[in-house]
Parts: sequence; structure tokens; C-alpha cells
Amino acid sequence: MQSRRKARSSDAKQPGLVLPAGCRAAAVVMAYNEERTLPLVLEELAKLSLEEIVVVLNGCTDGSFREARSFPGVTIVHYADKIGHDVGRAVGARMCTSDIVLFVDGDFRIAAEKLKPFIAAVARGTDVALNDISPYLPLFRDWDDVTRLKAFLNLSLGRPDLHASSLTSVPHALSRRAIERIGSALLAVPPKAQAAAIADGLIVRTAGSVNVVTANRMRNDNVGRDNEVARLIVGDHVEALKHVMDKGGARLSKADTSRRREAIARSRQL
Amino acid sequence: MDRVAFVRSRFATSGRKRQARPTSQGMRRRLNPRSGQANIRRSKRTSAALPAAGRFKSARPAPSRPAGSEVRVKRPDSVPLVSVIIPVMNERRTIRRVIREAFAVHPSVEVIVVANGSKDGSARIASQAGARVMEYGAPLGHDVGRAIGAQAARGEVLLFIDGDMVIPAGQLRPFVQAVIRDGIDVALNDYSGPTAKPDVHSVVLAKHALNVLLERPDLEGTSLTAIPHALSRFAVETIGAEALAVPPLAHAKAVQSGLRVVPVRRINVGKLNPPRIARERVKPLENIIVGDHLEALDWMINRRGTRCGFEDRYRKRHYAR
Repeated sequence: MQSRRKARSSDAKQPGLVLPAGCRAAAVVMAYNEERTLPLVLEELAKLSLEEIVVVLNGCTDGSFREARSFPGVTIVHYADKIGHDVGRAVGARMCTSDIVLFVDGDFRIAAEKLKPFIAAVARGTDVALNDISPYLPLFRDWDDVTRLKAFLNLSLGRPDLHASSLTSVPHALSRRAIERIGSALLAVPPKAQAAAIADGLIVRTAGSVNVVTANRMRNDNVGRDNEVARLIVGDHVEALKHVMDKGGARLSKADTSRRREAIARSRQL
Repeated sequence: MDRVAFVRSRFATSGRKRQARPTSQGMRRRLNPRSGQANIRRSKRTSAALPAAGRFKSARPAPSRPAGSEVRVKRPDSVPLVSVIIPVMNERRTIRRVIREAFAVHPSVEVIVVANGSKDGSARIASQAGARVMEYGAPLGHDVGRAIGAQAARGEVLLFIDGDMVIPAGQLRPFVQAVIRDGIDVALNDYSGPTAKPDVHSVVLAKHALNVLLERPDLEGTSLTAIPHALSRFAVETIGAEALAVPPLAHAKAVQSGLRVVPVRRINVGKLNPPRIARERVKPLENIIVGDHLEALDWMINRRGTRCGFEDRYRKRHYAR
């Protein structure tokens, strides 16, 4: 707590985010029973000069709604039942009208200072500003299944430079153009949105580096190697690849032009 | 000729015996004159199985007679128990030694060399070394030789190695034995590539990712992409020999078909052959192999659905319109 308070007071001295004239930024916050951390998250967002803040409450049964209400100017979308992973992002994106939309989770606080680069990158022309988690990853042999697939998706899309950076993890920011081009609905399956963005020629870059790898709150359903959430995210990556394969062919840009496969059939016939 | 071969040689891991090369070489010469009976006897079978383009240059009976203590089972003389398949493209430097080790893998063995696009006399050397050579003038492309060799193979166990990498028979034998003795369908090289680093080679990444998608993360980065590996005839028939031309596809088919896919022994092929690794770093080949993994995934999606069985039951997508 002590260090947190310190960090916050130092943030307060920083100058606010300067956006180009007429450029408006929004934030979408997803929350599922985060009454403890949600106010901390919203406090940080308040330091950014945001036009809109949308909080999507996903089947919250605690005081999250009350906490969100206590912040002025926050739009709350409340779902009594859980709408499931990442669906709130699609809902939030649809509700915003700003040129830039920042996505964060309500379950842990990220200092405003660390969020600024994502908004700034989009202000400078990036369509999809991703969180670069590379510095926080262990050696490859210790990567979890999900991280391996994140990197494989980028590799398959011809963007190995993105390493394991993914729309699955927050924070990230999208341009209005990206949301419109991809379609907000696709954001409910983040890797699919990422694949669509890259395949569509949008500008996808890493914009900042926030440690969400070790900071991520442990929950019953996201602990362990073969947990439910991990399986969901693995499936998201399959769906993402399928999405781009439908247009770009099974091998995407990795054509196999050198194999003489017909020689095999001929060899069998004879 | 009433020769006897083994079905299994539990103790015949006694590679020592088989490595008594002077004797077996001598026998080879006696049993396999170019015009010998063996060739004639085989021709019936092989002519049916082989393409005009890939004719056999020579054939050779199983080498070295059984030693005393081993279980002997009569097999038709022309049907070997083990087929070693070696795709070759300009591998003059190593091919002779590779074939020699292949013959020492098991007493009842045939060695099939699929020479393609070789201009350095590899095919002739292979033929002299006693292998059945299928020769293609033009390069067949990466791994196509494996599929073609597999189609021509007659053994119950198919061992796949490369013509540019000399692996001692003693290290190859566990793969064959895993299939013969332990009932394993696909015996993989337990080699996942260098992974003790922050960032890995794209092929290593693709192999790991595919195993995750196959719900076999325990296989780490092991794959039919890497040699050596051995397959049972049942495995080859289940996945189809032609799939072997795209090793990640063959790998996916093997796992999804419920075959017993097991890494049996680690042979560091990265260390063994640095020049080859250097060649593999060349982008086009890297791209082909990554593409192969996507092709494997595409096959899985067609079989198992858009999410390959990793469902998102609790996601209420209708809210996301």
C-alpha cells in the first residue's frame, strides 16, 4: 500500500496527456467483482484527460456498482449475469464515440503514467497499440500454453516482431478506425480482433510495457496449467487463425511452392 | 535360399554383434551380387510399388545372420521387418556412413534412399552401399521423399532419418525397438530444440504451439518434423503415407487418431549438424515449416471445428453484436 500511494503522488505531479486538437480519448474498464481495485483503477484514469469512461460490470455481486457510481462522469453498463470473457470489451467499444479507446481491467491498478503511451501511440497514428509483455516473460521453456499461442499467432500473421504481445492482455488502445474496420463485435474474441487487424493492414504496434504477467490476480479459474480460462484463450487463437485462413488460405502467406506433392500420388499409383 | 530373419530381437539390441562389419560386409557381397537372386526375387514386389521415375537401382537382402541366443522367426525372405527411409539430395559427403548405420539398426532391414535432385553422385554411392534407391532427377521438395519412401517400404517398422546426418545405429535402435517391443506407434526424437532462452526459433515455436493445440503440451517441441523417428505400419496406414511429406500434418493426424505418440530418446539434431541448422535458418524453409503447421491446424479445424474443441461455453456472444 505504501509504495502504491507513493507512486500515485508522483503521478499527480506529471503533466496531463496532451492530445492533438480535436482528438478525443476514452477508456473501457471491464470489472467482475472488483470493488476493492476498481476505485484505484478509476482514480488513475481520472488523471488522463479522457472524454468518456465506460465501466462494464460483468455479473458483479459485490460493491463494484457503488464504487463505479461514486466517480463522476463514468458510464456504467451493468449486466446482472456474467456475459463471459472479453464480451464487455465489445460492449464498451460499441458505446464509445472517441477517436481513441483504451482498454483496461478493473482488477488491478496501472499508473496513469504507464497508460499514457498507449493513448499517445494511437494519437500518433497507430491503430492497435499493444502491451509489450516480453520483458516480463520467463525463458521460453517456462512459457505457459497461452503465451506460446500468442507468439505463434503473431508469427503466423507475419508479425514475429510482436512476440507474445496480444489484444488478450491489457492495457491496449485502439483507434476508431480499427474498431470500425474490425467491427466491435470481434473484440469479444481478442486474438481474432488482432488477426483481423493485422490481416486488414491496420497499423499494429507495441506502445508500452506494463507487467501484467506477474501482477495478474490469481483466481480459482485461472490458476493451473490446464484451466478453463487457458482453454478458452487457446480456442480463441484457433478461431483467430481460422478467421484469417478463410480469406488467406490454410497456409496464409507461408506458401509451399517447392514441394512436388503430385509425385507422391504418382508414386503410389505405379 | 532359405534365409531366416527376425521379427524381434529383444537381445539383439546387441548392436555390438551387428557391428561386426567385416563379416556382414563380406556376407553382403556374397548374398547380393548385382545379378543375385535377391534382386530377382524382389523385383516382383517392387516393380508394382515403384514409379518409373523412382526405380530401384539395387536391392539387398537383410544383412548379417542371427546370432545364437536370439529368437528366430521365419519371415518371407523378401519382406524385411524394418524399413529405413532416407531422403537424399546431394549428400555425397555423408550418405555412405548414414546407410551403413541404417543397415546396422536391425538384422531384418531394408534401406530405402529417395534421391532427388542429386547431382553429386549420391544415388550411385547409395546404390553401391546396398540401399534400394529411388531416383528422381528434379528436387521433390522438403520431406516429399519421406512419403515416397514410406509408400515403397515393406517393413512393419519405418524408421526415418536424413541423408546429411550420421547418427550411430546404437542411437537409432531405441526408436525401432520402441515400436517393435513397446507397441508405440510413433516413436519421436525427444528433442524440443533450444528453449532455455527468452525467444526461440520460429520452427521451435510452431512445434510447441501445435502440441498445445493437439492437447499434448507434454510433447513440448517434439515433432515428426525432427528425425529420427519410427512409425509402425499401422501408424503409416492410419495417417496415410502421403501425409508424411508435411510432417506437422502427419504429426497432427497421428495424435488426433489416438495413436501412441511417445518421445523415446533425445538426439540433439541441432548440435549434430550445424550446417544443416544454418540452412534451416534460411527464411524460405522456415516459412514453409511454419506454413506446414498451419496446414496441420487447418486439418484439425476441419475435423474438430472452428475452435478445435477448446470451447467458450460461458461467453455470451450475442451481447457483443
